[in-house]
Amino acid sequence: MKKTMMVLALITLGALVLFGAGTKETKAADSDVTTIRWAYWGSGQRVEISQKAIDIYQSRHPNIRVNPEVSGGAGDHFVKVDTQLAGGNGPDIIQVGGNIPDYADVLLDFFPHAGKEINLSVIDPSAIDSGTIAGRLVGISTGVNMPALVYNKSLVERIGAPLPKTAMSYAEFKEYLRVLKGKLPAGIYPMQDIGVLSSNSTPFGYWSRYNGTPLYDAATMSTDVRPADGQRYLELFAEYRREGLVPPADIAAGYAENNADTSMVIAGKAVIGFLWTNMLSGYQAATTDELAFIELPGAAETNALWQPPSQFYAVNKDSKNIAETVKFIDFLVNDPEAAFVLGSDRGTPASSTARAAGSASPADQKVIDYMNVAGPHSSAETDHVPNDTEFNSTLYLIYQRVAFGQITPAQGGQQIYELLLRMIGK
Amino acid sequence: MNRKQTDLAKRLVLNLFIIALALGMLYPILWLLGASFKPSNRIFTEVSIWPSVATLDNYREGWRGIGIVGFDTFFKNSFVICILSALANAIFCSLTAFAFARLKFKGKNLWFALMMITLMLPSHVTTIPRYIMFRRMGWINTFLPIVVPKFFATDAFFIFLLVQFIRGLPRDIDESATIDGCSKFGIYTRIIMPLTVPALITTLLFSFLWTWDDFFNQLLYLTSPNKYTVPMGLRLFLDSSGMSSWGPMFAMSVLSLIPAFILFFSLQKYFVRGIATTGIKG
Amino acid sequence: MNLSKKRRLQENLGSYMFLVPWLIGFFLLTLYPMGYSLYLSFTRFNIRTPPQWIGLNNYLVMFKGTETLSRDERFLNSMWVTFRFVFISVPVKLVFALVVAMLMNKKLRLIGLYRALYYIPTLLGGSVAIAVLWRRLFASDGLLNMILHTIFGLTNLPAWISNPTYALYTLILLAVWQFGSPMIIFLAGLQQIPREYYEASAVDGAGPIRQFFAITLPSLSPIIFFNFVMQMISAFQSFTQAFIVSGGSGGPLDSTMFYSLYLYIKGFGFSEMGYASAMAWVLLIIIAVLTAISFKSSGTLVSYGSGE
Repeated sequence: MKKTMMVLALITLGALVLFGAGTKETKAADSDVTTIRWAYWGSGQRVEISQKAIDIYQSRHPNIRVNPEVSGGAGDHFVKVDTQLAGGNGPDIIQVGGNIPDYADVLLDFFPHAGKEINLSVIDPSAIDSGTIAGRLVGISTGVNMPALVYNKSLVERIGAPLPKTAMSYAEFKEYLRVLKGKLPAGIYPMQDIGVLSSNSTPFGYWSRYNGTPLYDAATMSTDVRPADGQRYLELFAEYRREGLVPPADIAAGYAENNADTSMVIAGKAVIGFLWTNMLSGYQAATTDELAFIELPGAAETNALWQPPSQFYAVNKDSKNIAETVKFIDFLVNDPEAAFVLGSDRGTPASSTARAAGSASPADQKVIDYMNVAGPHSSAETDHVPNDTEFNSTLYLIYQRVAFGQITPAQGGQQIYELLLRMIGK
Repeated sequence: MNRKQTDLAKRLVLNLFIIALALGMLYPILWLLGASFKPSNRIFTEVSIWPSVATLDNYREGWRGIGIVGFDTFFKNSFVICILSALANAIFCSLTAFAFARLKFKGKNLWFALMMITLMLPSHVTTIPRYIMFRRMGWINTFLPIVVPKFFATDAFFIFLLVQFIRGLPRDIDESATIDGCSKFGIYTRIIMPLTVPALITTLLFSFLWTWDDFFNQLLYLTSPNKYTVPMGLRLFLDSSGMSSWGPMFAMSVLSLIPAFILFFSLQKYFVRGIATTGIKG
Repeated sequence: MNLSKKRRLQENLGSYMFLVPWLIGFFLLTLYPMGYSLYLSFTRFNIRTPPQWIGLNNYLVMFKGTETLSRDERFLNSMWVTFRFVFISVPVKLVFALVVAMLMNKKLRLIGLYRALYYIPTLLGGSVAIAVLWRRLFASDGLLNMILHTIFGLTNLPAWISNPTYALYTLILLAVWQFGSPMIIFLAGLQQIPREYYEASAVDGAGPIRQFFAITLPSLSPIIFFNFVMQMISAFQSFTQAFIVSGGSGGPLDSTMFYSLYLYIKGFGFSEMGYASAMAWVLLIIIAVLTAISFKSSGTLVSYGSGE
């Protein structure tokens, strides 16, 4: 009996010692080294190249430690960052995307640091503009990005279909999908149902620009989309679905299209899908087939494409190491050695010194080629609908209701219109 | 003679039926096990459990983990968290249970009722406020927010289990000890604790396994990959790698299930006892 | 007199020493957070800026709508989905558990092994690994369709997991599959039923089916009831399986949008912490009411026997 007691007492003691030791250790390390916490989301490849960049920086600055806090997807990332910010424990560097306006209040203004910790003069003015909100530069662009259609080139060649033209009208595009349909075996579709995807509604945003009715204008706080516009969009895809050019709703919903892992194109079940250019290298790494880009239909006539910043490096304004953190960001965006390692994974660099470093991979070269062709077919970015995440989630729900035949495209168009008004009014 | 034969046949049919049903139920798990040894390109073309070509590549590749952190780190973290949680639960829940089951004091019924209510409380109600509190203490990205609550006997379930168990022990032992001048703490450590060892083992087991699977809290409090646990490693793995890595993913899934398996088969009777006395959720 | 009072005080104090850790935990980690989240439920709180008092608005939006905001149909849908999940999966699971428990109550040499095998799904079911596996089993090109195709030659099979008609049932199946805990509790209950009951009724000429309804079921009724309440409470809170299986979206078409999942999406996805807190409190009330109803009705449905 005594033995049992002794054992339990020892175990408790052991546990307490373990705790003590654990906490003490980290504290000791904190005092002589500055630690920068860098929160981002991304794929296995992004984690690897980011770590390479960190290693280079740490070898140059032995007193700095950079701790990456990685989430697999943007959703997880923002949940984590939000909760940390709520607790007043946000990371030093926060990677943000198109939702940067939602975070502007809690982010550092870089302008006072220009020419000191960070060199802004080599960064494209358009990239500076995109990170500026209400006169404050709250995010440094990680590079520019473009929406594109990705297709499986090897698969097209295997089935003996002609390769697609880079720029097509909607009519030509549909014809091409039909050609693919004629050559493909059952169970493989010409295109994934990209009308609205579970994690992004960019194709709809593109179409509304093509249609001349942008989703949102922040200055007037209004939308140009009307119920009839939404209806036409939903009918366009309903037509594709009827002809079997995109898969039935339940098959399509099986692929979340968040990343290469959940992509129908990578799974070999569809020829064409939607992709942001910066994601090509990650997708290409996940398949042995060769991937390539074409423009979204109708861009050549309307210049409806755009070149937004891929993401931003932003700094938590409550960071305790502001100067060191900004210096590290300067390294990430401007340093040639860093740029060479990072490639186009976070977008094609917006800094001239970084671009001068060149690129190593064939996928990066494809991105540059695409941008050269599609760049002229783009125009200024339109404003993001407020409450981006909720807008997308609900839009996807409406889109699916139509796809599964629960409501008509006309009803769907009405619901999209009401959704837009609700998001703007919120 | 004839009767014996039909009896035997009946038994045989019953045995076969039970085995067939079990195999049907376990097929997905067996398939997972088989798939973890198949080369990636065969995983989704083979229905059979047995790999036609077996390889350890999936394990080798999976063990390397994601970019900068390997699965060895995830396993180490999971073990540290789970062992500490299990020990803390066993010690502090049993102290509390002893008080509720054996001691007399004012307000006991009220506290006991409150304790039972927390058993049914959906954890959603406390998540955010707890987070804010722990961060004020500077505990984010440490194991403390996950482990320390267990030092305050917050798992009412195990208190209930131990109370049930202690109540089942004959009272005369500790009564005679009281007469012999034994203190309360003495009764607890010398009499009750040793007698509750089976229930304590049940507590250790279930705390370990539930902490192992407690994905949500780990997601919330552990922020850098070198602090990640096995379920988070799996999720990260699932999120961030291509189709070609289903194999490694399955291989690591298999490894993640092994601790539960070992514990279960080595300590089976404690599982049964624990469930039967309390009616475990799940 | 005074002495005994002092003694009693000492006695109380001594007892409370054992309760100190739990009391601290109760007040600091349960009661205070509960109070704070109740407060948040009356506010608009996006985590980044301080909470803003809006009275009953969050609750109104859930059930009725306000002047400016329409009723939250997705919330009502999540409630409907959850109720369906609970009231289909729990009874089916219990029936299955009882049937298997009766099989496991037979005297067979390998019975220990069999019991262990039937508990394995429960042992592993809560893990991320199994949820991921489930996703692969019921995908359009998943294991189930592969089997149906190669063995039975069926084609044009639905993508179970991404089809709104079937998706919830794959989750119900996953829940039923983990029938091990109620099975073991039933088994313990079955072993308590005196053999003489059966022997006596056999003499009276009762067959196994009549025995089941006349003896087994009534004797087990308190245990059935207990299992039902426990399973119901945990089923209402299901989260991980729906989260992983639907890829965190509750889709397709919100058909797997469990209550907890919607709460999580609202709170963390859309940054409406106040609304999410209100949802947590509604869940608390639902569980409390259903438990109370179960206990009330148990009086008429459950026979506690005369023995003990």
